[in-house]
Amino acid sequence: MAQTKEQKKLHLIDTDIHERVEYEELLPYLEQPYKRYIEDCGWIQEKHMPFTQPAVAGVNRADAVVPDGRPAGSDLPFMQEQLLDAIGHDVGILTGALDPSPSSMHGWYEMAAALASAYNDWQIENWLDKDERLYGSVHIAAQDPQSAVREIERVGSHKKMIQILLPIDDKLWGDPYYHPIFEAAEKYELMIGMHHNEPPIHYGGWPRYFIEWHTLIPVAHMTMVTNMVFNGVFEKFPKLKMMMIEGGFTYVPFLMRKMDQQYRDLRHEVPWVKRMPSDIIREHICFTTQPLEEMTKKEFLQTFEQMGSDEIVSFSTDYPHWDYDSPYEALPPGLDEDLKRKLFSENARNFYPKLAHLKEEQ
Amino acid sequence: MGEIVCHEEDLKPGEMMESTFGRHSIVLCRASDGHYYAFLNRCIHQGAPLSKGKLCGAPAATDEVGEYNFVKEGDILRCPWHGREFDIKNEGRMLANEKLKIRNFKVHVKNEQVIVYK
Ligand code: FES
Repeated sequence: MAQTKEQKKLHLIDTDIHERVEYEELLPYLEQPYKRYIEDCGWIQEKHMPFTQPAVAGVNRADAVVPDGRPAGSDLPFMQEQLLDAIGHDVGILTGALDPSPSSMHGWYEMAAALASAYNDWQIENWLDKDERLYGSVHIAAQDPQSAVREIERVGSHKKMIQILLPIDDKLWGDPYYHPIFEAAEKYELMIGMHHNEPPIHYGGWPRYFIEWHTLIPVAHMTMVTNMVFNGVFEKFPKLKMMMIEGGFTYVPFLMRKMDQQYRDLRHEVPWVKRMPSDIIREHICFTTQPLEEMTKKEFLQTFEQMGSDEIVSFSTDYPHWDYDSPYEALPPGLDEDLKRKLFSENARNFYPKLAHLKEEQ
Repeated sequence: MGEIVCHEEDLKPGEMMESTFGRHSIVLCRASDGHYYAFLNRCIHQGAPLSKGKLCGAPAATDEVGEYNFVKEGDILRCPWHGREFDIKNEGRMLANEKLKIRNFKVHVKNEQVIVYK
């Protein structure tokens, strides 16, 4: 993609890039007997979504398939050429391809934990250690909090691991049962990256069409924000923050107003929540931009005004997915430089403690 | 002024290729009936290179819920990113909103050469 002079000054921290593993690549990082289950039995993680057809090449950008035919997102040099170098990223945050997604497994938590460890080692060796711009997400088997904490202790201090990835699926992670994970996150200065996997958005199940499911992904994100706030996670862990990834942000004004109004009426049920939910959201939660709806500048700015902050939204491309947002094209034209700087880098830099060192460097 | 972009036989019906016209990157498409159409190789949504998409067909609009009638095979250019559909035989208009279209160029075939004009 051709760049203008102005484009080179972007200083982008891209908060959602999907690197992809193929199961064979995980084998060297897996212990036995888990390795055998993949090698000999052809084990793969169960998937539920009945739709994989949204765009020309399924769920990926058609031009992001690796030229040798491997899946989009599976080759670092090609990602560098097509994304990191072409756009001029300062930082790219890897969020996995959710296959495998250990925390979404419905059984066999031992396998989930083994996969998470293998994935983390693979990610560090093949991506984080190979490109200084890339930062990573710790994969865990969150349904088994004890093993999850052990994994966080094992890799959480890696300087390029900046968050713990939790899928938005059919478990609500704010439940006190999972709080040991947040305690460990706080200890290692890891934030929570919450990204939908295959969440039900339709009375606990699937709608008939992909377009319905994809339209309503923000519903699953709202469910999780509401759950984390009212289960007191941020009151209990004051240094913890959460990045809501790939659900956009235009639902936030509605949710803040609704939660505040409910809190005024129903505070008695959740007395451990001691502030207005919207204040908790502004202090603890950040939202990634993609997939952006097409908005006028006026509509776009109104959303920030209604959220009472322009510091809780960070730009994301979602490369290499089909609904990728281009940093040069997706925002409404004419935004002032100050806001663009916040969206493209400052907000993410302030959000992740392990990116704070970039301040001095820029 | 026209520019020769390829030989007539370089594309079969239903195929497309990337080429240049002056300083523009263009996508040259050969429709199912053998006619040629040329467009700016840049999607009007977020600028994706259209030549990396697919020349395919599309389910026709219908009054019956649940009915898929796949038509215009080879005449619909779908963007490689968000998959918006442009009808190459209808000036490159978008199926979801005919008011919008990708920029098109004139094409003539002369002495077996495919020539693109402004
Ligand atoms: S860039 Fe073509 S559909 Fe979005």
